[in-house]
Amino acid sequence: MSIAASLAWIESTDLSTAIREGALLYPVIGGIHLLAIALFGGMVLVTDLRLLGWVMRSRPVLEIVRQFRPWKWAGFAVVTVSGLLLAWAEPQKLYRSPAFWVKMALFALVGVHALGFRARVYGNNARLDVAETAEGKLSACISLLLWAGLIVSGRLIAYDA
Amino acid sequence: MSSFFEWLSTSPWANAMNGPEWAFPVVQSLHFIGFAFSIGTIAIVDFRLLGWALPSQSTAELAADLDPWTWAGFALMLTTGPLLFSADAVTYHHNPSFQFKMVCLLAALLFHFTIHRKVARSQAPPLAAKLVGGLSLVLWTAVIAGGRMIAFV
Repeated sequence: MSIAASLAWIESTDLSTAIREGALLYPVIGGIHLLAIALFGGMVLVTDLRLLGWVMRSRPVLEIVRQFRPWKWAGFAVVTVSGLLLAWAEPQKLYRSPAFWVKMALFALVGVHALGFRARVYGNNARLDVAETAEGKLSACISLLLWAGLIVSGRLIAYDA
Repeated sequence: MSSFFEWLSTSPWANAMNGPEWAFPVVQSLHFIGFAFSIGTIAIVDFRLLGWALPSQSTAELAADLDPWTWAGFALMLTTGPLLFSADAVTYHHNPSFQFKMVCLLAALLFHFTIHRKVARSQAPPLAAKLVGGLSLVLWTAVIAGGRMIAFV
């Protein structure tokens, strides 16, 4: 099946139609996507701020990283599922949107970032129990930039129509 | 009163918001980033009040530590919010979802700076702490929901 045919098939499904044309479903799913930024964005933010040494300096870095990790995963799950549902509703529009592809590239980079810094930062590197490290600070800066980029590119999708 | 909103929607900053295509979405993105800071840090304290997260710090410690970042978020919200509003002040102030959002925002801010502050900074009994944390989350969720629905009513 060609890409065009696949996207058209997705839009023909009941789920896609229900989200796209239902009065409340689309804004509610979008609202959940936004709510995840509000409720879980703080966890990402504070983890990164701690890695930078800008907040909660009285607690060891790794303690903060570990404590926020399950919440970050929960937030990640919520944005991903709600994002997938939003994409399922309008795949053809998203396929044609440059902002969407920028967002997907950043999303992939979030994964690369997590893997890339696993050994030096997120994988319980003992040096972080003593003080902030240069890799930790670099990791935090990249994380903050990636997430800001995700928010901005996400917002710009609506303007690509 | 309506002439105030008319004046606002043709003010210099409203014209700037409505000028270049990217102006409104960029300011709106900063609005989202702003609430990641403000509501994001408040949510952490609320989860602590509910007993769901971060047992190693007291709520008071957490609230004190995060407070500057909550303020940074508020600063961003209080600049981007009015800018966004001014871009179409006449329409927005009639919009029921916007009105709902403003009522919830007022309630949320009032609650945050009175009962929430007191309970977060003291050794409140667990039930009071949970109620306050839960109510705070509900109020801020209502603000976001109200904001979300503006475009749909």
